[in-house]
Amino acid sequence: MARTNRRTKLLAGLAGLTAAGVALVGCAPSGGDEEDGQSLRLWHYEGADSAMGKAWAEAITIFEEETGATVEFEEKSFEQIQKTASQVLDTDAAPDLMEFNKGNATAGFLASTGLIADISDAVDEYGWADKLAPSLQTTAKYSDDGVMGGDTWYGVPNYGEFVGVYYNKDAFADAGLEIPTTYDEFVDVLDAFVAKGITPLAEAGAEYPLGQLWYQLALREGDRGFVDDYQLYKNPVDWQGPVITSATETLAEYVDKGYIADDVSSIKAEDAGVSFINGTAPIFVSGSWWFGRFVAEATGFDWTMTAFPGADLSLGSSGNLWVVPENAANKELAYEFIDITMRPEIQAIIGNNGGLPVAADPADITDEKSSELIGTFNGILEKDGLAFYPDWPAPGFYDVIVQQLQGLITGVEDVQATNEGLGEAYDEGTADFR
Amino acid sequence: MTLITRGERTAVPREQPAIPQGRGGAGAYWLYLLPGFILLLVIVLIPLGWNVFLTFQKWRGVRAPEFIGLENWQKLLTDDDFWTSFTNSVWMILAMVVVPTILGLLVAALLFDVIGRKFGGRVGSFLRATYYLPQILPVVVAGIVIGWIVRPDSDGALNQMLGWIGIPAVDWLGQMPSALIVLMVVMVWVQLGYPVVIFMAALQRVDPELYEAAELDGANWVQRFSAITVSIIRPEIFVVTLTCTIAALKVFGPVYVITRGGPAGATLVPAYYAYQEFFTKRNIGYGATIATVLTIVVVIVSIVFIRVQNSMEQKERAGL
Repeated sequence: MARTNRRTKLLAGLAGLTAAGVALVGCAPSGGDEEDGQSLRLWHYEGADSAMGKAWAEAITIFEEETGATVEFEEKSFEQIQKTASQVLDTDAAPDLMEFNKGNATAGFLASTGLIADISDAVDEYGWADKLAPSLQTTAKYSDDGVMGGDTWYGVPNYGEFVGVYYNKDAFADAGLEIPTTYDEFVDVLDAFVAKGITPLAEAGAEYPLGQLWYQLALREGDRGFVDDYQLYKNPVDWQGPVITSATETLAEYVDKGYIADDVSSIKAEDAGVSFINGTAPIFVSGSWWFGRFVAEATGFDWTMTAFPGADLSLGSSGNLWVVPENAANKELAYEFIDITMRPEIQAIIGNNGGLPVAADPADITDEKSSELIGTFNGILEKDGLAFYPDWPAPGFYDVIVQQLQGLITGVEDVQATNEGLGEAYDEGTADFR
Repeated sequence: MTLITRGERTAVPREQPAIPQGRGGAGAYWLYLLPGFILLLVIVLIPLGWNVFLTFQKWRGVRAPEFIGLENWQKLLTDDDFWTSFTNSVWMILAMVVVPTILGLLVAALLFDVIGRKFGGRVGSFLRATYYLPQILPVVVAGIVIGWIVRPDSDGALNQMLGWIGIPAVDWLGQMPSALIVLMVVMVWVQLGYPVVIFMAALQRVDPELYEAAELDGANWVQRFSAITVSIIRPEIFVVTLTCTIAALKVFGPVYVITRGGPAGATLVPAYYAYQEFFTKRNIGYGATIATVLTIVVVIVSIVFIRVQNSMEQKERAGL
């Protein structure tokens, strides 16, 4: 009898919980209700310990103090927003302000579908354009078809990023080598490390690092015209032409010559970064997003980061964007929040924590290493040297690049077949925009 | 000595309905089935119809779909990745159905017949639970552990062990055919527990006297296994084979976590390929076409299995 009672209670408890769950779902705030001016629903996916995470936590505090409104912050993952945003933004559950990845296949796609708002008037009103360098504005403005570099503002970035080369200065000193300043010197250094039995480049074929190196090698041969054709579809890209052929051939040579280990096709970015952190690989071509991590963890040796030697163009762009969903209930509050993130004190938090602020007062950057990074970034901006990322032009092109370059470095495909595979997917994915 | 003669074969009696017919007639049954039909309609049939509709459309997930006729289906016929993914399904069937079912049958019989008898039921139960463990392990956790074991450089546990005996490190997931082989071995490991548990439960209903009689007649273990064990638990073998085949055709999680279809698309499977088209390339129409083909294949396999099982059961009932 006791057992029966217990079971009955358990079932009743479960039934109660289920009913409560159903009731909660029914009562849960759906968002997107009428504008109340009292709360701002905010989604972003920066880690709490990252430069941006810290800066935006402070921005939330200032916002709440100044406006009296509360911030309903929901921590999301990059994947979550990337994969589900288009469905959520079409509903009343849309937030008032959201961080979103920039580029044609991401923010551009949302802009073209009308899911995120044209914020040009707010940009004029708050004067954000004056704080953003032209190559940073490219990724914030889109055409009606969702191609970046258009006339309409759909987002605001308040930090930047670029891909450069990290060098382990101690390993260089031990090998009697200098940090290279030209591409020829870079290759000499790679040869010297190989001669000493060291595989110099940390690489990852299963994720973005290898594709970024490939595109950086293309940028070494290409110019702004190539970038405009590739990223902004100004002209068709010649996938068997000298620029891309040179990049693919050089990458294959890097493997043949032992600059890159021949077993990197299944390695992930994290593992490549860790092999730099633990001193296994003395050189790592990757983004400024690693900088803060290396400051914290690559403490066993002295290191530095420069732009890719001998290249006028570097991978990079504005950071991710603040976008305002078309269905947002409190757009005015969203603009006020964006404006706070542009203030010097918030920008300084980004800059002093390993991030790349776009509107910081240089006098506010007290950290020496961060100053060096920001100096390098500003040097690229002054040359209008940001060339964006290779996977941006077409939805799903990231996976194609990973797969094709895996094929190249494992010897399954030759240079021509790799370029052909990339070209077919690029042409198919960009057909809608041409 | 008693001579046992077979009785004259009689017609198989028609099965009588267990539920008495009430005054409500057949109409009352339909009333009870209604909620089930409504759920079937909402959860299965309408999405299925929508999916088939999308195979004739070009759609990026928002705005209205654009009718493109048979373009997606034509593309499918000449798409190497699609055919690679279905070829890999055959390997998945080998790893998730054929090997686990055969191994599971042997392990279950050993646990039941040998371990159970010699070491007691507790040891058998413990081992059964051990085999079942990978089934309850989240695939993400398993994937991370497997990834650590088969890391390409000498940090990987497997490569380290091979290093002890002088075998150089292998890039297990970075090249073919090792990437597919690793995936298959993982699937055998994950799947094995399921048939073991089902078969051991099935073995509970085998009359021990049958084994004793066979033993007295001089049958060895292999003969007892094939003549009694396999013959009696045949329905469970069918169920395991069918469910595992469907699982193998639909496999997604392990591929997503361990190889992401790599290297160079060599471990692509239909469900992962459809996912890529749906969510990363936003080719919803083409993704729907792959999903529809997958559904058709699963339905055909299920129908074939069920028909074969029914015909064998009918033959058995008829004493053939």
